Amino acid sequence: MDAVVTSPVELDEPRSGLDQALTPPWVTLVWNDPVNLMSYVSYVFRSYFGYPEAKADKLMLDVHEKGRAAVSHGSREEMERDVEALQGYGLWATMRKDD
Amino acid sequence: MARGFQRGRRGIRAKFDAHEKSLLAHLFVEVYELLDAHDGPGEQDPLAVMVGIGTAVDTPADPALARLLPDGHRDDPQASADFRRYTELGLRDRKRAGLEAARVSLGREGALVLDDDEARAWAVALTDVRLVLAERMGLRTEQDHDRLLEQAEGDDEGVSVMLSLYDFLTWLQETLVAALVAPLRDLPED
Repeated sequence: MDAVVTSPVELDEPRSGLDQALTPPWVTLVWNDPVNLMSYVSYVFRSYFGYPEAKADKLMLDVHEKGRAAVSHGSREEMERDVEALQGYGLWATMRKDD
Repeated sequence: MARGFQRGRRGIRAKFDAHEKSLLAHLFVEVYELLDAHDGPGEQDPLAVMVGIGTAVDTPADPALARLLPDGHRDDPQASADFRRYTELGLRDRKRAGLEAARVSLGREGALVLDDDEARAWAVALTDVRLVLAERMGLRTEQDHDRLLEQAEGDDEGVSVMLSLYDFLTWLQETLVAALVAPLRDLPED
């Protein structure tokens, strides 16, 4: 009986570890500004990230309508690279821990 | 009168008169010089500069420059300072190189014909110039444009000149982005 009671707990352990590995802890945000053109923002998402047109347009509209969008996820080092590149394009990009 | 960018067989072309060319060149130089000013504390360490590490850790005091070189973290000044040390020099260099490439291309005779690399440099250069102009005019929210338009239609000549220049650059950039995106339309989506 004892063995049966403890097993669900042990099953949960490795899954939460896996979830953590699959959910990267950092995110790159792009903030809305009145200067950057909608067509340009979408173009940047397509040419820098290689996103398909539909995804780039959706992220661009999120930036425009919601004030910001999470445009990439990954390790802190990866997000630093993305933020630097997007700032290079003139977008208002920042990063933060994804919680 | 300018003709906006269009993609042709030999490249992305536009046409400007002499006045428009010198105006654009002047704006590219202005922003280049804004990015050139060292406002980091103390002497630059030549070895650190060589590997792209600067001494600047603070958000630039000039709000226009701060918009070109924003903080990397919104709520973490220490992390922003570290990020800036490692990225600001490189960002300034790349932005200056793009502005310079755009300015140099304006010196060619006849209609302006750009390859895709030059066109990308132009798109970023136009963005940087528009960001600086917008900050100088106080265009910081979506509503500000209408307010500035009212001011310009009143008798604020300074605003009127800046705003028509800004709108000209906006139109020009729209035509450029459309030309840059045109070949992407043919790519299959995955």
